[in-house]
Parts: sequence; structure tokens; C-alpha cells
Amino acid sequence: MSAPRTPELERLTLGFIPLLDAALPIIAREAGFFTDEGLEVALSRENAWSTLRDKVASGLLDGAHMLSPLPLAMSLGLSRAPCETLAPFILGRGGNTIVLSRRWSEGMDDIVEDRDPRDNARRFAARLHDHRGRPPRLAMVYPYSCQHYQLREWLASADINIEHQVVLGALPPPRMVEALENDEIDGFCVGEPWGSLARYRDVGRVVASGAQLWPAHPEKVLGVTASWALRYPATLAALIRALHKAGQWLGASPDHARRALGWLELPPYLDRSIEHLESLAPDAPPAWQCLVGDPRPTAEIMSHVAEHLDQHMRESGRVLDMRTLSTCYSPAHFDAATHQ
Amino acid sequence: MPQPLKVLLVDDEIVRAAMVEEALANEGHEVICRLQAPTSLNEMVARHQPDVVIIDMESPDRDTLDSMSLLNRENPRPVVFFADQHDPETMQAALKSGVSAYVVDGLVPGRVKAVMEVAIARFESFQSMRRELDQARTQLAERKRIERAKGLLMKHQDCDEPQAYRMLRKLAMDRGQRIGDVANNVIDILEQLEKGR
Repeated sequence: MSAPRTPELERLTLGFIPLLDAALPIIAREAGFFTDEGLEVALSRENAWSTLRDKVASGLLDGAHMLSPLPLAMSLGLSRAPCETLAPFILGRGGNTIVLSRRWSEGMDDIVEDRDPRDNARRFAARLHDHRGRPPRLAMVYPYSCQHYQLREWLASADINIEHQVVLGALPPPRMVEALENDEIDGFCVGEPWGSLARYRDVGRVVASGAQLWPAHPEKVLGVTASWALRYPATLAALIRALHKAGQWLGASPDHARRALGWLELPPYLDRSIEHLESLAPDAPPAWQCLVGDPRPTAEIMSHVAEHLDQHMRESGRVLDMRTLSTCYSPAHFDAATHQ
Repeated sequence: MPQPLKVLLVDDEIVRAAMVEEALANEGHEVICRLQAPTSLNEMVARHQPDVVIIDMESPDRDTLDSMSLLNRENPRPVVFFADQHDPETMQAALKSGVSAYVVDGLVPGRVKAVMEVAIARFESFQSMRRELDQARTQLAERKRIERAKGLLMKHQDCDEPQAYRMLRKLAMDRGQRIGDVANNVIDILEQLEKGR
């Protein structure tokens, strides 16, 4: 055992999108786990995944809370110039819900343990079959996201034609509930707390859960560019250890979970626009969100994402390169940081 | 004289948008502005078929634009424009001033770059003007509250003044509120927190 090396960087900035699974970096900052590792970390709230992506790629941010497919999409040069990016730590699993407006979800089941999410998909398909006029508009958060793929799988499970029977688009998470309220969209797939907020405000019903479709699937990761990781290896290790401690602390007692919700309420994190934050039980249905699971990434657990990205690339004559996949989700950085 | 381009400008800073619009129009381009219009961006792009979209980098609408290139089966399919492969200087300037650009397939990069440079220059001069503008527009009392909120954020978030101001602006944008209202909210929460300590 050698003592951890001093981080090369003392001050750094991580980007995040206001979501429940930004909890670990927020806890690490508020409870002092970053400071314990010799890091002064500022958290920068970003308005869009594409902006967060560009800021990480260009070095304006040192790293960020990222959708789990984003580091791979960035490495492959999908939707912007290629930028090799790593996902050395899993920040959360599950938490996505598919919500339909009250009108479209009439007569559908609430999501509980023993409900098959395909039942509601079949009801949606039947309604679409009889529907005349403009197809319903469904939003997800970003093209390369679990939300997009889970929504597609849910629709496909009832043989809904995604090209013709619905219109897909992207909106940032904090805009979803408002867009549904204003009738700009008819449904969405989004991470917590935005799905349960729609239910809380009674503007929509949760008709399927990402955790049912892809159980325990990594939803958010820490993302840093490969060149950043190469330049600041001890800083990365310190970051990983601090986040790991934050996860262990969060899982240690219900009182810690309550304190964490209190921090999430602070500006500029999730703030008080989310009025039901105090009543949230993230690990309960329909979100089944897990913020304290095994944070160690591997390429194998990303197989759902790999499949979708591969399929997408084949449409333009490319294939997913397995070496890029395994570099991106390599557990090596986690192992090195936690075993020294 | 090169062919004029059709530029869609997405910016909720009314003064800045006017500056960019004027500058691009002077170059002979046709500019369509989208401020905080209720129309969806998808529909605007489909209706106007712009050659270039210039958008505030901090706009929450960026993900909508990004997804169009992947999800739209037919034209238009705007693609985010990156000068970074060939032209790191323009890219850095764009990032610093907060300009993002999307182009419709097939447009010559040089022509996009010219439009971007005009936008970058206006965004930059707006940045330096902003402080004075804000002071002129904002009531004294509101300004005091914003200062107080900034101070609390600077202390709590350990950040500098411009960063604290950006946080307030972002919160205001996200919530569609005035910055003064957001400042009140921030003061409310952080003062309670300080009392509790």
C-alpha cells in the first residue's frame, strides 16, 4: 500500500444537469469528501447535455455528470468531432420513467412491482391505431441516451412504428413537465425527479419504468476526456475516491439520505422549483433508482447501449469498435483509485 | 458578393439578438429571430429552412437542435458546427463568447465561419456592455437583492462574481423567471441555511 499521490489539480469544475443522480458529486462537495481528498470542486449547473458535452470536450469543464452512453458517443465522434472520453465511475442506476399525458394514459395501469410495462405499451398501440390527425410528440433528453433507447424499446415492444406513429424530439429534463403541461408534447422519458414531478402535479401518468426495461442499468457516469485523465491521473483517482465515499455515506443511513435531499434543494443544484423533493423515495417504484450500487464500470454492463449504438452506426456503414467500448468503460481507473 | 444566407438566430437576450441581427443583415444575410417565442424550435427550423442556426451556447434549446440531425428523416437536418478540427482559434473564441452554430448539410465551412465571426464579435461586445445594461435596467432595490444573492452564492459555492451571476442567470432561464425573483429565492434558502448552522 502506497499513500495516495497529491492531486495535480487543486481546483476543478464539474458540470451537472439538475437531476437526482447528480447527488454523489453534490454530497461529495457538501459533506467535504472532495476536500478530504485535497480537491476544491466547483459544480456548474448546465442547461443542456450538448453544452455540457462541448464544455468537457474543449476543457471548459474538467469533467461532468454524464448520461452513461455519452462518453462512448463522444469517443466515436457521434454528433460532434471525436473526443476520446472515459466513464471511470457509475453515479447512479435506473431512475428513468416513461410518462404520458393524462389524455393519452387514460385507462392505463400505474407502475408497480408485478406489472409488465408492455401492457401499457399495447394499450398505447391500440389508441394510436384508432388515432387520426397529428401523431403524438414524445420527448427524450438527448439522442445518445438510455431515455431515447428505453422509449424506443417500449414502443417497439407493442410494434408501434416509431417513424410514422409518433414524433420523437429532445428536451432538457427541467423543461419536460412544463412542456407536457403546456401541451407542447404528449409524453416523455426522463430521469428523476422529473418523472415523478409530472405525477405529483397530476399532468401525466408514469406508464413504464426504465428500471423494468433495463434492470440495474448504469444511467449516469462521471465523464472525463482521456487526455485529461492522462494529464491528471492523481486528480482523477482522488475524484473517484471522493465520489465512492459519498456513495458509501449516502447508503449508510436513512438520515444521510434525508440530509442529501436537503442539499439537493439548495441553489444552484435542483433548487425549490421541484416542490415534491422532500416526499421522494427514489428507490421505490416506479423509478427504482439506485444511487448507492456498485460504482465500478465494465464494458459488459453497457451491452444494451452498445447494441443500440452499433445498430445506429450500421445505418451509416460503420460498426461499433469493441476496443473503444472497453476503453471507455474500463474499470482500471476505479480499481487503481480504490486499491492503492 | 456571395449568396446571402438564411440565418435563424436563437437568443433570449433581446438586446444581443438585435445586435447580431443588425450585423448579419448588414452583410446581406436574411435573419430570422427567435426570442422566447412559444413556437417549438423544430417547427421553426422546418418552416424557415435556415442555412445556419446561431444559438446562445447556454440555451436549453440546444439539445432539441442536436437531436434533429439524428431524428429528422428528411431535411432540414442541422448539424452542430465545429471549427475545432481546422480552426481552433475560432472555436475557442466561440466557446468564450458563448456562440454555438448549427449548419445544414453541404454548406461550405468558410461561409459558416464568416457568419460565426460576426456573431462572436457581437456576443463579445454584448458581454462587455451587459454590466452597464443591467445597471441601467434594474431597479436599485432589485440590484441590491441580486448583489446579496451573488454574495451568498460566492460564499457558499466558493466561486467568483461572474460565476455567481451566471448561476443566477441560468436558474432564471431554466425557470422562466426574472433574475430578481430568482435572487429572492436564493437569498431565502441560503439565509435559512446559514441560520441553521
